[in-house]
Amino acid sequence: MSEFMTDAIAFLPVLGRGLVTTILLTLCALAVSLALGLVWALMGLSQHAPLRWTNKIVVNTVRGIPIIVQLFCVYFVLPEWGIDLDPFVAGAVGLGIAYSVYQAENLRGGFESVDKQLVEAGTALGMSRAQVTRRVVMPLGLRTALPSFGNTTVMLLKDSSIASTITVAELTRSGQLLAISTFKNGTVYVLIALLYLAASIPLAMAVRALEKKAAWR
Amino acid sequence: MIELKNIAKSFGTRQVLRDVSFSIAAGEVACLIGPSGSGKSTILRTINGLERHDAGTITVDGTLLTDAALPAIRRKVSMVFQRFNLFPHRTVIENIIEGPVQVLGEDAESARLRAMELLKRVDLADRADAYPGQLSGGQQQRIGIARALAMGPQAILFDEPTSALDPERVGEVLAVMRELTQDGMTMVVVTHEISFAREVADRALFIDEGVILEDGPAREVLTAPSAERTRLFLDRVLSPL
Repeated sequence: MSEFMTDAIAFLPVLGRGLVTTILLTLCALAVSLALGLVWALMGLSQHAPLRWTNKIVVNTVRGIPIIVQLFCVYFVLPEWGIDLDPFVAGAVGLGIAYSVYQAENLRGGFESVDKQLVEAGTALGMSRAQVTRRVVMPLGLRTALPSFGNTTVMLLKDSSIASTITVAELTRSGQLLAISTFKNGTVYVLIALLYLAASIPLAMAVRALEKKAAWR
Repeated sequence: MIELKNIAKSFGTRQVLRDVSFSIAAGEVACLIGPSGSGKSTILRTINGLERHDAGTITVDGTLLTDAALPAIRRKVSMVFQRFNLFPHRTVIENIIEGPVQVLGEDAESARLRAMELLKRVDLADRADAYPGQLSGGQQQRIGIARALAMGPQAILFDEPTSALDPERVGEVLAVMRELTQDGMTMVVVTHEISFAREVADRALFIDEGVILEDGPAREVLTAPSAERTRLFLDRVLSPL
Protein backbone atom coordinates (compact mmCIF):
# COMPACT_ATOMS: atom_id res chain seq x y z
CA MET A 1 0.00 0.00 0.00
CA SER A 2 2.82 2.38 0.86
CA GLU A 3 4.36 1.52 -2.51
CA PHE A 4 1.05 2.58 -4.12
CA MET A 5 1.21 5.88 -2.25
CA THR A 6 4.80 6.63 -3.27
CA ASP A 7 4.02 5.78 -6.88
CA ALA A 8 0.82 7.80 -6.77
CA ILE A 9 2.64 10.85 -5.50
CA ALA A 10 5.24 10.44 -8.24
CA PHE A 11 2.60 9.97 -10.98
CA LEU A 12 0.12 12.65 -9.93
CA PRO A 13 1.87 15.66 -11.50
CA VAL A 14 1.88 13.94 -14.92
CA LEU A 15 -1.71 12.71 -14.56
CA GLY A 16 -2.76 16.10 -13.19
CA ARG A 17 -1.56 17.78 -16.38
CA GLY A 18 -3.53 15.18 -18.32
CA LEU A 19 -6.61 15.92 -16.23
CA VAL A 20 -6.32 19.64 -16.98
CA THR A 21 -6.20 18.85 -20.70
CA THR A 22 -9.19 16.52 -20.30
CA ILE A 23 -11.19 19.27 -18.62
CA LEU A 24 -10.22 21.88 -21.24
CA LEU A 25 -11.04 19.42 -24.02
CA THR A 26 -14.41 18.66 -22.43
CA LEU A 27 -15.25 22.36 -22.07
CA CYS A 28 -14.27 23.18 -25.67
CA ALA A 29 -16.16 20.16 -27.04
CA LEU A 30 -19.11 21.17 -24.85
CA ALA A 31 -19.16 24.66 -26.34
CA VAL A 32 -19.00 23.27 -29.90
CA SER A 33 -21.69 20.68 -29.16
CA LEU A 34 -24.04 23.25 -27.62
CA ALA A 35 -23.64 25.78 -30.42
CA LEU A 36 -24.17 23.16 -33.12
CA GLY A 37 -26.85 21.39 -31.07
CA LEU A 38 -28.86 24.59 -30.78
CA VAL A 39 -28.69 25.02 -34.55
CA TRP A 40 -29.86 21.42 -35.14
CA ALA A 41 -32.63 21.77 -32.53
CA LEU A 42 -33.98 24.99 -34.02
CA MET A 43 -33.83 23.41 -37.48
CA GLY A 44 -35.79 20.46 -36.16
CA LEU A 45 -38.55 22.75 -34.88
CA SER A 46 -38.62 24.95 -37.98
CA GLN A 47 -41.79 25.43 -39.99
CA HIS A 48 -39.76 24.90 -43.18
CA ALA A 49 -39.72 21.24 -44.16
CA PRO A 50 -36.25 21.22 -45.82
CA LEU A 51 -34.69 22.44 -42.56
CA ARG A 52 -36.47 19.71 -40.61
CA TRP A 53 -35.24 17.07 -43.10
CA THR A 54 -31.69 18.37 -42.83
CA ASN A 55 -31.97 18.07 -39.05
CA LYS A 56 -33.17 14.45 -39.31
CA ILE A 57 -30.40 13.51 -41.73
CA VAL A 58 -27.67 15.15 -39.62
CA VAL A 59 -28.88 13.67 -36.33
CA ASN A 60 -29.27 10.15 -37.68
CA THR A 61 -25.99 10.20 -39.59
CA VAL A 62 -23.84 11.57 -36.78
CA ARG A 63 -25.54 9.39 -34.17
CA GLY A 64 -24.94 6.29 -36.30
CA ILE A 65 -21.17 6.64 -36.60
CA PRO A 66 -18.87 5.59 -33.71
CA ILE A 67 -17.22 8.57 -32.04
CA ILE A 68 -13.75 7.12 -32.60
CA VAL A 69 -14.41 6.93 -36.35
CA GLN A 70 -15.61 10.55 -36.36
CA LEU A 71 -12.42 11.64 -34.59
CA PHE A 72 -10.31 9.73 -37.15
CA CYS A 73 -12.25 11.47 -39.94
CA VAL A 74 -11.48 14.89 -38.50
CA TYR A 75 -7.84 14.13 -37.66
CA PHE A 76 -6.73 11.85 -40.53
CA VAL A 77 -9.14 12.55 -43.41
CA LEU A 78 -9.53 16.34 -43.30
CA PRO A 79 -5.75 16.89 -43.89
CA GLU A 80 -6.20 15.17 -47.27
CA TRP A 81 -8.46 18.11 -48.15
CA GLY A 82 -5.99 20.61 -46.83
CA ILE A 83 -7.53 21.07 -43.39
CA ASP A 84 -4.78 20.19 -40.95
CA LEU A 85 -5.88 20.48 -37.35
CA ASP A 86 -3.82 20.32 -34.17
CA PRO A 87 -4.79 17.15 -32.20
CA PHE A 88 -6.48 19.11 -29.42
CA VAL A 89 -8.55 21.17 -31.87
CA ALA A 90 -9.40 18.07 -33.89
CA GLY A 91 -10.49 16.37 -30.66
CA ALA A 92 -12.66 19.31 -29.56
CA VAL A 93 -14.26 19.65 -33.00
CA GLY A 94 -14.75 15.89 -33.46
CA LEU A 95 -16.23 15.34 -29.99
CA GLY A 96 -18.27 18.54 -30.38
CA ILE A 97 -19.83 17.33 -33.62
CA ALA A 98 -20.42 13.84 -32.25
CA TYR A 99 -22.13 15.23 -29.15
CA SER A 100 -24.04 18.02 -30.92
CA VAL A 101 -26.74 15.56 -31.95
CA TYR A 102 -27.31 14.46 -28.35
CA GLN A 103 -27.44 18.09 -27.26
CA ALA A 104 -29.87 18.78 -30.11
CA GLU A 105 -32.16 16.02 -28.90
CA ASN A 106 -31.91 17.30 -25.30
CA LEU A 107 -32.78 20.81 -26.41
CA ARG A 108 -35.54 19.72 -28.78
CA GLY A 109 -37.12 17.67 -26.03
CA GLY A 110 -36.99 20.70 -23.74
CA PHE A 111 -38.39 23.09 -26.33
CA GLU A 112 -41.19 20.69 -27.26
CA SER A 113 -42.21 20.33 -23.62
CA VAL A 114 -43.09 24.02 -23.41
CA ASP A 115 -46.85 24.49 -23.01
CA LYS A 116 -48.34 25.38 -26.41
CA GLN A 117 -50.71 27.76 -24.67
CA LEU A 118 -47.76 29.92 -23.61
CA VAL A 119 -46.70 30.05 -27.24
CA GLU A 120 -50.24 31.21 -28.06
CA ALA A 121 -50.08 33.85 -25.34
CA GLY A 122 -46.92 35.29 -26.92
CA THR A 123 -48.42 35.06 -30.40
CA ALA A 124 -51.60 36.81 -29.28
CA LEU A 125 -49.46 39.64 -27.87
CA GLY A 126 -48.21 40.16 -31.41
CA MET A 127 -44.78 38.56 -30.96
CA SER A 128 -43.17 37.10 -34.08
CA ARG A 129 -42.30 33.41 -34.24
CA ALA A 130 -38.66 34.28 -33.61
CA GLN A 131 -39.56 36.42 -30.59
CA VAL A 132 -41.75 33.67 -29.14
CA THR A 133 -38.88 31.20 -29.61
CA ARG A 134 -36.33 33.52 -28.02
CA ARG A 135 -38.45 34.94 -25.20
CA VAL A 136 -40.73 32.03 -24.27
CA VAL A 137 -39.72 28.66 -25.74
CA MET A 138 -35.96 28.85 -25.20
CA PRO A 139 -35.83 30.05 -21.58
CA LEU A 140 -38.52 27.58 -20.49
CA GLY A 141 -37.25 24.70 -22.65
CA LEU A 142 -33.65 25.10 -21.45
CA ARG A 143 -34.77 24.60 -17.86
CA THR A 144 -36.55 21.39 -18.74
CA ALA A 145 -33.49 20.21 -20.71
CA LEU A 146 -31.07 20.81 -17.81
CA PRO A 147 -31.10 17.31 -16.23
CA SER A 148 -30.49 15.52 -19.53
CA PHE A 149 -27.94 18.18 -20.38
CA GLY A 150 -26.06 17.29 -17.17
CA ASN A 151 -26.05 13.59 -18.10
CA THR A 152 -24.71 14.34 -21.55
CA THR A 153 -21.92 16.49 -20.16
CA VAL A 154 -20.73 13.73 -17.81
CA MET A 155 -20.78 11.30 -20.76
CA LEU A 156 -18.79 13.80 -22.80
CA LEU A 157 -16.19 14.07 -20.04
CA LYS A 158 -15.70 10.30 -20.08
CA ASP A 159 -15.74 10.02 -23.88
CA SER A 160 -13.08 12.71 -24.14
CA SER A 161 -10.74 9.77 -23.40
CA ILE A 162 -11.33 8.68 -27.01
CA ALA A 163 -9.21 11.67 -28.05
CA SER A 164 -6.24 9.69 -26.67
CA THR A 165 -6.39 7.75 -29.97
CA ILE A 166 -5.52 10.88 -31.94
CA THR A 167 -2.54 11.70 -29.68
CA VAL A 168 -4.20 14.35 -27.48
CA ALA A 169 -2.23 14.24 -24.23
CA GLU A 170 -5.29 14.11 -22.02
CA LEU A 171 -5.72 12.01 -18.89
CA THR A 172 -6.10 8.58 -20.49
CA ARG A 173 -3.22 9.10 -22.93
CA SER A 174 -0.89 10.44 -20.21
CA GLY A 175 -1.77 7.41 -18.11
CA GLN A 176 -1.16 4.96 -20.96
CA LEU A 177 2.30 6.43 -21.60
CA LEU A 178 3.06 6.31 -17.90
CA ALA A 179 1.92 2.69 -17.63
CA ILE A 180 3.97 1.63 -20.62
CA SER A 181 7.14 3.22 -19.29
CA THR A 182 6.76 2.16 -15.63
CA PHE A 183 4.83 -1.16 -15.93
CA LYS A 184 2.73 0.03 -12.96
CA ASN A 185 -0.58 -0.69 -14.69
CA GLY A 186 -2.54 -1.21 -11.50
CA THR A 187 -1.51 2.06 -9.85
CA VAL A 188 -1.85 4.12 -13.01
CA TYR A 189 -5.32 2.92 -14.06
CA VAL A 190 -6.75 3.08 -10.56
CA LEU A 191 -5.50 6.67 -10.36
CA ILE A 192 -7.00 7.52 -13.77
CA ALA A 193 -10.35 6.08 -12.71
CA LEU A 194 -10.30 8.09 -9.48
CA LEU A 195 -9.39 11.29 -11.31
CA TYR A 196 -12.29 10.87 -13.80
CA LEU A 197 -14.61 10.33 -10.84
CA ALA A 198 -13.19 13.36 -9.09
CA ALA A 199 -13.96 15.47 -12.14
CA SER A 200 -17.43 14.10 -12.89
CA ILE A 201 -18.91 14.27 -9.40
CA PRO A 202 -18.49 18.06 -9.02
CA LEU A 203 -19.87 18.42 -12.56
CA ALA A 204 -23.02 16.51 -11.65
CA MET A 205 -23.33 18.60 -8.49
CA ALA A 206 -22.91 21.83 -10.44
CA VAL A 207 -25.70 20.85 -12.81
CA ARG A 208 -27.97 19.96 -9.90
CA ALA A 209 -27.26 23.33 -8.30
CA LEU A 210 -28.08 25.02 -11.61
CA GLU A 211 -31.37 23.10 -11.78
CA LYS A 212 -32.33 24.34 -8.31
CA LYS A 213 -31.44 27.89 -9.24
CA ALA A 214 -33.47 27.70 -12.43
CA ALA A 215 -36.64 26.64 -10.65
CA TRP A 216 -38.81 29.74 -10.54
CA ARG A 217 -41.20 28.82 -7.79
CA MET B 1 -64.99 47.34 -35.14
CA ILE B 2 -65.00 43.55 -35.64
CA GLU B 3 -66.86 41.97 -38.51
CA LEU B 4 -67.11 38.29 -39.42
CA LYS B 5 -68.70 37.28 -42.73
CA ASN B 6 -69.57 33.70 -43.64
CA ILE B 7 -66.79 32.16 -41.56
CA ALA B 8 -66.30 28.41 -41.93
CA LYS B 9 -63.67 26.28 -40.20
CA SER B 10 -62.92 22.57 -40.01
CA PHE B 11 -60.47 20.59 -37.94
CA GLY B 12 -59.71 17.70 -40.28
CA THR B 13 -63.07 16.29 -41.30
CA ARG B 14 -64.95 17.82 -38.37
CA GLN B 15 -66.61 21.09 -39.29
CA VAL B 16 -66.66 23.33 -36.21
CA LEU B 17 -67.92 26.57 -37.75
CA ARG B 18 -70.40 26.83 -40.61
CA ASP B 19 -71.29 30.18 -42.07
CA VAL B 20 -70.84 32.38 -39.00
CA SER B 21 -71.54 36.09 -39.54
CA PHE B 22 -71.84 38.90 -37.04
CA SER B 23 -70.34 42.27 -36.31
CA ILE B 24 -69.49 44.08 -33.13
CA ALA B 25 -69.45 47.84 -32.88
CA ALA B 26 -66.80 49.83 -31.03
CA GLY B 27 -67.61 49.95 -27.32
CA GLU B 28 -69.98 47.04 -27.54
CA VAL B 29 -69.79 44.10 -25.12
CA ALA B 30 -70.82 40.81 -26.71
CA CYS B 31 -71.06 37.46 -24.99
CA LEU B 32 -70.75 34.20 -26.88
CA ILE B 33 -72.58 31.42 -25.10
CA GLY B 34 -73.32 27.84 -25.97
CA PRO B 35 -72.55 24.25 -25.02
CA SER B 36 -68.94 23.06 -24.99
CA GLY B 37 -67.75 22.04 -28.41
CA SER B 38 -70.18 24.44 -30.05
CA GLY B 39 -67.38 26.44 -31.66
CA LYS B 40 -67.54 29.61 -29.56
CA SER B 41 -63.86 29.54 -28.54
CA THR B 42 -62.90 28.82 -32.14
CA ILE B 43 -64.82 31.89 -33.28
CA LEU B 44 -62.93 33.99 -30.77
CA ARG B 45 -59.59 32.54 -31.84
CA THR B 46 -60.18 33.26 -35.52
CA ILE B 47 -60.53 36.99 -34.72
CA ASN B 48 -56.82 37.33 -33.79
CA GLY B 49 -55.67 34.59 -36.12
CA LEU B 50 -54.78 31.94 -33.51
CA GLU B 51 -57.01 29.77 -35.70
CA ARG B 52 -57.05 30.28 -39.43
CA HIS B 53 -60.53 30.35 -40.93
CA ASP B 54 -61.12 28.25 -44.06
CA ALA B 55 -63.68 30.50 -45.71
CA GLY B 56 -65.24 33.93 -45.27
CA THR B 57 -63.73 37.25 -44.28
CA ILE B 58 -62.83 38.89 -40.98
CA THR B 59 -62.36 42.65 -40.72
CA VAL B 60 -60.94 44.34 -37.64
CA ASP B 61 -61.10 48.12 -37.45
CA GLY B 62 -61.35 48.32 -41.23
CA THR B 63 -58.40 45.97 -41.85
CA LEU B 64 -59.05 42.68 -43.62
CA LEU B 65 -57.50 39.81 -41.67
CA THR B 66 -54.76 38.24 -43.79
CA ASP B 67 -51.38 36.73 -42.87
CA ALA B 68 -49.75 40.05 -43.66
CA ALA B 69 -52.22 42.03 -41.54
CA LEU B 70 -52.01 39.73 -38.49
CA PRO B 71 -49.28 41.65 -36.61
CA ALA B 72 -51.23 44.90 -36.95
CA ILE B 73 -54.48 43.24 -35.89
CA ARG B 74 -52.91 41.58 -32.85
CA ARG B 75 -51.76 44.99 -31.64
CA LYS B 76 -55.33 46.21 -31.74
CA VAL B 77 -56.97 43.13 -30.25
CA SER B 78 -55.72 41.59 -27.00
CA MET B 79 -56.69 38.25 -25.57
CA VAL B 80 -57.36 36.87 -22.10
CA PHE B 81 -57.14 33.07 -21.76
CA GLN B 82 -59.07 30.53 -19.75
CA ARG B 83 -55.91 29.21 -18.11
CA PHE B 84 -54.27 32.66 -17.82
CA ASN B 85 -51.16 31.59 -19.78
CA LEU B 86 -48.87 33.96 -17.91
CA PHE B 87 -45.17 33.40 -18.61
CA PRO B 88 -44.07 31.37 -15.55
CA HIS B 89 -40.42 32.43 -15.79
CA ARG B 90 -41.20 36.13 -15.59
CA THR B 91 -42.50 38.18 -12.69
CA VAL B 92 -45.89 39.83 -12.73
CA ILE B 93 -44.52 43.16 -13.92
CA GLU B 94 -42.28 41.50 -16.52
CA ASN B 95 -45.34 39.68 -17.87
CA ILE B 96 -47.17 42.96 -18.28
CA ILE B 97 -44.35 44.88 -19.99
CA GLU B 98 -43.39 41.97 -22.28
CA GLY B 99 -45.76 43.01 -25.07
CA PRO B 100 -45.20 46.77 -24.88
CA VAL B 101 -41.40 46.42 -24.82
CA GLN B 102 -40.94 43.53 -27.26
CA VAL B 103 -43.79 44.21 -29.68
CA LEU B 104 -44.54 47.94 -29.45
CA GLY B 105 -40.89 48.91 -28.85
CA GLU B 106 -41.73 50.98 -25.77
CA ASP B 107 -38.80 51.69 -23.45
CA ALA B 108 -38.78 49.53 -20.33
CA GLU B 109 -39.00 52.42 -17.87
CA SER B 110 -42.19 53.98 -19.23
CA ALA B 111 -43.69 50.52 -19.74
CA ARG B 112 -43.00 49.79 -16.07
CA LEU B 113 -44.72 52.99 -14.96
CA ARG B 114 -47.78 52.17 -17.04
CA ALA B 115 -47.71 48.59 -15.76
CA MET B 116 -47.77 49.82 -12.16
CA GLU B 117 -50.85 51.92 -12.97
CA LEU B 118 -52.53 48.84 -14.46
CA LEU B 119 -51.58 46.79 -11.41
CA LYS B 120 -53.28 49.35 -9.19
CA ARG B 121 -56.31 49.12 -11.40
CA VAL B 122 -56.55 45.35 -10.88
CA ASP B 123 -55.67 45.84 -7.22
CA LEU B 124 -52.39 43.87 -7.30
CA ALA B 125 -49.75 46.61 -7.06
CA ASP B 126 -48.13 44.81 -4.12
CA ARG B 127 -47.50 41.65 -6.16
CA ALA B 128 -45.48 43.27 -8.97
CA ASP B 129 -42.38 41.18 -8.26
CA ALA B 130 -44.12 37.88 -7.55
CA TYR B 131 -43.99 34.99 -10.00
CA PRO B 132 -47.29 33.76 -11.46
CA GLY B 133 -46.91 30.44 -9.64
CA GLN B 134 -47.08 32.29 -6.32
CA LEU B 135 -50.50 33.79 -7.09
CA SER B 136 -54.03 32.42 -6.85
CA GLY B 137 -55.99 31.75 -10.02
CA GLY B 138 -58.06 34.88 -9.57
CA GLN B 139 -54.95 37.01 -9.11
CA GLN B 140 -53.32 35.41 -12.16
CA GLN B 141 -56.34 36.16 -14.29
CA ARG B 142 -56.36 39.81 -13.15
CA ILE B 143 -52.71 39.96 -14.25
CA GLY B 144 -53.81 38.36 -17.52
CA ILE B 145 -56.25 41.24 -17.98
CA ALA B 146 -53.59 43.81 -17.06
CA ARG B 147 -51.23 42.23 -19.59
CA ALA B 148 -53.94 42.51 -22.26
CA LEU B 149 -54.63 46.16 -21.33
CA ALA B 150 -50.93 47.06 -21.46
CA MET B 151 -51.04 46.73 -25.23
CA GLY B 152 -53.53 49.61 -25.36
CA PRO B 153 -55.98 47.49 -27.34
CA GLN B 154 -59.13 48.66 -29.05
CA ALA B 155 -60.83 45.40 -28.18
CA ILE B 156 -60.23 42.46 -25.83
CA LEU B 157 -61.19 38.85 -26.49
CA PHE B 158 -61.98 36.83 -23.36
CA ASP B 159 -61.87 33.04 -23.73
CA GLU B 160 -63.84 31.65 -20.75
CA PRO B 161 -61.92 33.89 -18.34
CA THR B 162 -63.50 32.47 -15.18
CA SER B 163 -63.91 28.78 -16.08
CA ALA B 164 -60.62 27.65 -14.52
CA LEU B 165 -61.18 29.53 -11.25
CA ASP B 166 -62.33 28.37 -7.84
CA PRO B 167 -65.90 29.58 -7.36
CA GLU B 168 -64.92 32.09 -4.66
CA ARG B 169 -62.37 33.68 -7.03
CA VAL B 170 -64.79 34.32 -9.91
CA GLY B 171 -66.18 37.54 -8.44
CA GLU B 172 -62.88 39.45 -8.33
CA VAL B 173 -62.24 38.79 -12.03
CA LEU B 174 -65.78 39.69 -13.05
CA ALA B 175 -65.42 42.92 -11.05
CA VAL B 176 -62.40 43.96 -13.13
CA MET B 177 -64.25 43.08 -16.33
CA ARG B 178 -67.31 45.01 -15.20
CA GLU B 179 -65.10 48.07 -14.73
CA LEU B 180 -63.75 47.67 -18.26
CA THR B 181 -67.23 47.71 -19.72
CA GLN B 182 -67.87 50.97 -17.90
CA ASP B 183 -64.75 52.43 -19.53
CA GLY B 184 -66.22 51.64 -22.93
CA MET B 185 -63.85 48.82 -23.91
CA THR B 186 -64.99 46.69 -26.82
CA MET B 187 -65.20 43.14 -25.51
CA VAL B 188 -66.04 39.74 -26.92
CA VAL B 189 -66.51 37.28 -24.08
CA VAL B 190 -66.94 33.52 -24.31
CA THR B 191 -68.52 32.67 -20.99
CA HIS B 192 -70.77 30.42 -18.97
CA GLU B 193 -71.49 33.22 -16.48
CA ILE B 194 -75.05 33.84 -17.63
CA SER B 195 -75.94 36.29 -14.88
CA PHE B 196 -72.80 38.33 -15.56
CA ALA B 197 -73.61 38.34 -19.26
CA ARG B 198 -77.16 39.44 -18.55
CA GLU B 199 -75.88 42.26 -16.37
CA VAL B 200 -73.05 43.75 -18.42
CA ALA B 201 -73.34 42.54 -22.01
CA ASP B 202 -75.04 44.56 -24.71
CA ARG B 203 -75.34 41.56 -26.98
CA ALA B 204 -75.57 37.84 -26.56
CA LEU B 205 -74.95 35.30 -29.29
CA PHE B 206 -76.00 31.72 -28.74
CA ILE B 207 -73.90 29.25 -30.70
CA ASP B 208 -74.56 25.57 -31.23
CA GLU B 209 -72.81 23.15 -33.56
CA GLY B 210 -70.92 25.92 -35.31
CA VAL B 211 -73.97 28.02 -36.11
CA ILE B 212 -75.27 31.21 -34.49
CA LEU B 213 -78.75 30.24 -33.37
CA GLU B 214 -79.61 33.53 -31.75
CA ASP B 215 -78.18 37.04 -31.77
CA GLY B 216 -79.80 39.90 -29.93
CA PRO B 217 -79.77 42.15 -26.87
CA ALA B 218 -78.30 40.17 -23.95
CA ARG B 219 -81.30 40.69 -21.68
CA GLU B 220 -83.66 39.35 -24.34
CA VAL B 221 -81.59 36.37 -25.45
CA LEU B 222 -80.71 35.34 -21.93
CA THR B 223 -84.08 35.93 -20.30
CA ALA B 224 -86.61 35.13 -22.99
CA PRO B 225 -84.83 33.26 -25.79
CA SER B 226 -86.80 32.62 -28.93
CA ALA B 227 -85.10 29.39 -29.96
CA GLU B 228 -86.03 26.17 -28.18
CA ARG B 229 -82.37 25.05 -28.18
CA THR B 230 -81.29 28.23 -26.34
CA ARG B 231 -84.03 27.75 -23.75
CA LEU B 232 -82.91 24.17 -23.06
CA PHE B 233 -79.30 25.26 -22.69
CA LEU B 234 -80.12 28.11 -20.32
CA ASP B 235 -82.35 25.85 -18.20
CA ARG B 236 -79.49 23.40 -17.86
CA VAL B 237 -76.88 26.06 -17.07
CA LEU B 238 -79.01 28.02 -14.62
CA SER B 239 -80.47 25.05 -12.75
CA PRO B 240 -78.09 22.13 -13.21
CA LEU B 241 -80.04 19.94 -10.79
